Amino acid sequence: MSRRRPVQRAGRVMAAGAIGLLAAGCLPAGATAEGRDIGTLYLGVNIVAAAVGVFVAVLITFSVLRFRRRADGDALPAQTRGNLGLEIVWTVIPTVIVAGLFVATVAVLTRVDSTEATPGAELDVTAFRWGWTFEYPGEDVAVSGIGVPGPVVVVPVDEPVRMTLRSSDVIHSLMIPQFLFKRDVNPGHVNVIQFTVEEPGDYGGQCAEFCGIYHSQMPFTLRAVERAEYDAWLAEEREAVAVEPASERP
Amino acid sequence: MAVVTHAAPAPAERPTILTWLSTTDHKRIGLLYLTASFLFFLFGGLLALVIRSELAVPGLQLVDEEGYNQLFTMHGTIMMLLFATPAAAGLANYLIPLQVGAADMVFPRLNALSFWLFLFGGLIVLSGYLTASGPADVGWTGYAPNSRLPYSTTIGTDLWIVGLALTGVASILGAINFVSTIYTRRAPGMSMLRLPVFAWTILVMSALILFSFPALTGALVMLLLDRRFGAAFFDPSQGGSEILWQHLFWFFGHPEVYIVALPFFGVISEIIPVFSRKPIFGYRFLVLATILIGAYSFTVWAHHMFTTGAVSGPFFSIATFIIAVPTGIKFFNWIGTIWGGRLSFDVPMLWAIGFLYLFLTGGLTGVILGSPPLDFALHDTYYVVAHFHGVLVGGSVFALFGALYFWFPKMTGRRLSERLGKMHFWSWLAGFSLTFFVQYQLGASGMARRYADYPADAGWTGMNLLSTAGSYLLGLGTIPFLVAVVLALRRPADQPADPWEANSLEWATSSPPPHHNFTSIPPIRSERPVFDARMAARAGPEVTPS
Repeated sequence: MSRRRPVQRAGRVMAAGAIGLLAAGCLPAGATAEGRDIGTLYLGVNIVAAAVGVFVAVLITFSVLRFRRRADGDALPAQTRGNLGLEIVWTVIPTVIVAGLFVATVAVLTRVDSTEATPGAELDVTAFRWGWTFEYPGEDVAVSGIGVPGPVVVVPVDEPVRMTLRSSDVIHSLMIPQFLFKRDVNPGHVNVIQFTVEEPGDYGGQCAEFCGIYHSQMPFTLRAVERAEYDAWLAEEREAVAVEPASERP
Repeated sequence: MAVVTHAAPAPAERPTILTWLSTTDHKRIGLLYLTASFLFFLFGGLLALVIRSELAVPGLQLVDEEGYNQLFTMHGTIMMLLFATPAAAGLANYLIPLQVGAADMVFPRLNALSFWLFLFGGLIVLSGYLTASGPADVGWTGYAPNSRLPYSTTIGTDLWIVGLALTGVASILGAINFVSTIYTRRAPGMSMLRLPVFAWTILVMSALILFSFPALTGALVMLLLDRRFGAAFFDPSQGGSEILWQHLFWFFGHPEVYIVALPFFGVISEIIPVFSRKPIFGYRFLVLATILIGAYSFTVWAHHMFTTGAVSGPFFSIATFIIAVPTGIKFFNWIGTIWGGRLSFDVPMLWAIGFLYLFLTGGLTGVILGSPPLDFALHDTYYVVAHFHGVLVGGSVFALFGALYFWFPKMTGRRLSERLGKMHFWSWLAGFSLTFFVQYQLGASGMARRYADYPADAGWTGMNLLSTAGSYLLGLGTIPFLVAVVLALRRPADQPADPWEANSLEWATSSPPPHHNFTSIPPIRSERPVFDARMAARAGPEVTPS
């Protein structure tokens, strides 16, 4: 009958859509050691999720097409009410899968959240409506900026960088997409994050937690440079501060 | 099958405006809920179209930043709290007394109060549009301290707080009514394990409302005290906590996700058996899975807060993973129902099948987001936007449309046009896929949500344009539905008691049912009394091989 063909076509379109979706959503390569771990976990989890998704989508498509009503349509099919064995199978298998995901998650989470290594650079970060201040405690250096394009903060490459995050007003969130990472910057609860940038370069940063009218306009740039260049930059900044009398300090 | 005509209601019962304003009949209140929530849905949908139009290309074309913030705040608030929640309440209001074989809800006046509190609460939220500074601009999540003074100065935010508190009370009163009705008004023979799955999902939904909405109401009152009466619940500089708001909000907010999902799982569990001509597969497991999802839903709230750095990642991660298991059980039981059936693809079934595919994508990406390291990358990006629209639109809204096509004959005595229904379904399936699937990639490549603009050189313009085109298709695709409703209502009522050969008790009475629902009730010996009665009638003297 002619009205069945669209159903078949539709089934194929839907299955293709589901598979296409699961292949999408690719993250950029993480530019930090931690980001690389996150990217690897993301890839692994996505392979599992895609396998499950494709399996279920194919199962739906197959059963929808296979069991459509045919010419002898009025006879009642077998009135199956359930199957204990199947219920156990499709309870146990997903449980095992999510247990595996959990183990992998905790392993990566522990590494990403670790602040144990001695940092090569320590920064105090203050977010405010709508900009950022990055201070280098003990170095007498700070960079600050509001709006677009925002401040440029310099850190050394290949060394752990520790940032202590505080907000002077509402909740913000420090997000660096290429690090595959963000962490909220709270007015009360202080967060400490640590990461190691692996490639020198400029990385765009932004606010990820809605913080009012100009939430979309508080970017910054994180510039990762070699140690020598970093030291030179710090010295240069210190000098600039020493030349100008520190008028803003109380 | 012969066309059974039912006597039209006596002319004396002809409803007037006053009838509707003063009604305590659960069916009328259900229709009021459905109509009002659908109007809110249309308004929220228009806001979404403005959002998508603004994001179609880089730069600010239609609104400024403040206008954009108000748009997504009102869109989210309306869709979650003025549409999805009351739409579920509307279906439940109409169906629960019918499904359990009762004449009405236990507390009909309380029921009416719930509706009017919801309606006026909603109108108060929207009344921000009438103020000079416009409606609330704090996001539907209203994170403090951004929602405190001096940060959100618009009076619309105060109206948002007060209005939502009222709708919260409405939900709580409604939940009390549903629980009481299901517990105490079941017809003889209707044991708990013969309740239709939809009724079970409403029971669990009501329990979730009773335990979670008070947290929202409390948080809203605290926020109002902070804003207008000098309190400092959410101000860390005065001993308050900014994290507290998030705990309270999500302690409500995650059960809320299941409050607007479970009833629609129930809808799917009603539609699929009817159009597969089989009983629901694994009834007891579905019920158990529903209860487990309800219970677990109180243990996952802080997966919305992984990036705060103030919650236990492992605990809320494993809790989130575990809740996927009973959800998966439901999935396999739905497929098990289809398996071996004789499927017909009437419009309600199309929506149910569409639901299976789309909810699958939303569910799987939810598991991905439940892993804290991955959430660090994806939180507050369009990936999350795509995920929750997968669950709430691909899931709940698709199921709601299925429900409307399925129960419209029961509610009105008229059937919605198949042809318009199919146009509606296919344009929504295509529109949904276009709008939201690209947003996973947008989010993964770092496009943050709640931004009025994005850079022209980010490589996102094409995907955003596609997403916007999809949203227009969703908007246009809604028109056939509205036309179908108008056309159907202009025709005389002609539907028999049981037009679909369905299972549960609401199909044992006329379409629409009389004021007190039933003149007689068939014996209830399973969760499919109407099916049993149909079989008994066929096994009787006149066996017609069609």
